[in-house]
Amino acid sequence: MAVLKRVQQWATFARIWHIYDAAWQNPFESAGVLKKYLTGLYKPIYHPMNDCGDHIVVINSAEIALPGDEWKKRVYFHHTGYPGGATWTLAWELHEKDPTMILKKAVYSSLDKNLQRRYTMQRLHIFPDANVPSDMLKSISNQIKQLRLVPKRLDTYSEEEIKSFPKIYDYPKPYILK
Amino acid sequence: MSLLRTLLSSSNFSKLIHRSTNIRTVSIIPPLHLKEIKEIKEGNDIVISGHSFESARVPYLVKTSCDDSCPLCQLNLDIKHTDVLILSQFVRSDGCMLPRRITKLCLKQQKKMSTLVTMAQKAGLMPSLNPEKSKKDPKKRFGWKKHNKYFYDA
Repeated sequence: MAVLKRVQQWATFARIWHIYDAAWQNPFESAGVLKKYLTGLYKPIYHPMNDCGDHIVVINSAEIALPGDEWKKRVYFHHTGYPGGATWTLAWELHEKDPTMILKKAVYSSLDKNLQRRYTMQRLHIFPDANVPSDMLKSISNQIKQLRLVPKRLDTYSEEEIKSFPKIYDYPKPYILK
Repeated sequence: MSLLRTLLSSSNFSKLIHRSTNIRTVSIIPPLHLKEIKEIKEGNDIVISGHSFESARVPYLVKTSCDDSCPLCQLNLDIKHTDVLILSQFVRSDGCMLPRRITKLCLKQQKKMSTLVTMAQKAGLMPSLNPEKSKKDPKKRFGWKKHNKYFYDA
């Protein structure tokens, strides 16, 4: 085999490392995208029996955003198996116990329900903040684009930016500013 | 509110001092850039007068074709609850919505803006525009309110 072909072979089957910033992202929308990379669905060599999935490092999972009042409406159910062993945990309560859990569960349930699922999940590395081990960072070669724009808070703009932004109307003459 | 007081005789001086202290309580106006109170001494006379400022918004006003109708209807903008630089213009420093006689919006736009302002506040995007003694940092809110949220604004 020619040297070029050999290297091409390695590159084709090598596991790629992606990074995804989960700040202000919906975990359930993100799960669909992460699934594509975790299982290698986007690759031309993809086959269910072909173990060609990639690694994903997810950062800032504590900063995920849910729409509307979903933080107090979404419920996670668990049953110990004993009578009276059922518990219902609200999304915000679960998020305070473990800020990676909502995203992890979202990806886990979006994956195909087969024996490969647990091994696919081992390739997903979720971190609540941006502190990623340096050896993990070294192998990252791609960034997955965020699905929604991160909103900018008003207090992050400088005084000058707020002042010189186009104004819709002016205060009436005798108006006292508060 | 223009303040113009002239002192003519020195016998009235104590009375004037008393008045000027009263006026001083009003003099919180100058830092708000509306009126500046000036004291001018001319011999025995002291002239205290309020000078009106030009609004800081004047050079940055958006030009619309018609001054009488609602500026937002004319501009036809697609405003989201994340556009805090626009939404903060309709809000007081404590986060209250300004009334329609000041914003000069039509009823439809005023309602639309007030819902968007509420969304922005609930999402914690305008933490600096809040009541004085409130927890301004959205991370310090109670329970589910401390987490990031967004809204589907049509």
